[in-house]
Amino acid sequence: MTEENMDPAISALEERSRALFLDSVAGLDMRTRSRLTQARHAALAAADASARRPWLMRIPVWTSAVGVTAAAVLGVALWFGGLLGQHGQMSAADTQSKFEDLDIIAASDESSGDAMDMLQDDIDFYAWADKTASSEPTA
Amino acid sequence: MSGFDTLPSAWMVWDGPAPAPGGAVLEQTRELDKFLADIERRAFRMAQVALRDPDDAMDAVQDAMLKLARNYAARPSAEWRPLFYRILENGIRDLQRRRSVRKRFMVWLPGPKEDPDNEAQDPMESVADSGPSVPERLIQDEAMQKLESSLRELPARQREAFMLRNFEGLDVAETASAMGCSQGSVKTHYSRAVHTLREQLGEVWR
Repeated sequence: MTEENMDPAISALEERSRALFLDSVAGLDMRTRSRLTQARHAALAAADASARRPWLMRIPVWTSAVGVTAAAVLGVALWFGGLLGQHGQMSAADTQSKFEDLDIIAASDESSGDAMDMLQDDIDFYAWADKTASSEPTA
Repeated sequence: MSGFDTLPSAWMVWDGPAPAPGGAVLEQTRELDKFLADIERRAFRMAQVALRDPDDAMDAVQDAMLKLARNYAARPSAEWRPLFYRILENGIRDLQRRRSVRKRFMVWLPGPKEDPDNEAQDPMESVADSGPSVPERLIQDEAMQKLESSLRELPARQREAFMLRNFEGLDVAETASAMGCSQGSVKTHYSRAVHTLREQLGEVWR
């Protein structure tokens, strides 16, 4: 009888149902008993294998989680480190490229006079070629 | 049932002199073997009541044994029983869910035609166990079938509470631990289960 049921009818039901259940357990066939024994041996073998493994390997979920976390931390560190290093290098490179750009612009400014001269030469050449062509006697 | 005497030959490796940790493991293994041997048949019958199918019940018990042995063997042995039944109840619920999903899919698929005359009979099943006489056996079987069908009609939590408390003999605290609920809930589930069963079986069993 359970402590919360003091009703005799209920305790009779409990006793009868428990007796029937235990009787059905005792009447289990040999095949089922044999399968249960095999299952128990398999479980004990698994427990033995688990107990003999090094302690770090007993918790594969933890070891894999630790590995993943370590890789993530390393990745983030490398990324940040790369960014910081890149930032320093970029400052120097940026300054240098700005000087180069200035050089190019300066060089363009210096040669702009030459370009105008070349354009003038071309105009002169086409004017001469046109005059020559029109003054030549037709054959 | 000692069970340890029937262990396969691989276990005999332990018989030699072992260092202290190995000895501790051996002691733990023996204790676990004793515990599982004591509990396995009742656990199987409880799983069978819940699942109906003996193969599913066997799978659930085997899985619970494996999980307990792998993950909780190092725990104090007093914790094993509620832990085992918690694993078993979770396994039963998983199997019931999978079965209901499978049923939904199988409705749309043509199933194989069963030939009842062609079923292979396992000779082990026909081995008679010593027990009560045939008429007495029949009466008990009939009463047990009625009890099982009434238990299956109960809500799952009520059935769990009733079987753990009454069949397995767990106290309220252990049942609460096994069911993953409060002790108050266990008392409520149990009380409702008992009253429903009394309504259904009272007339039959009087």
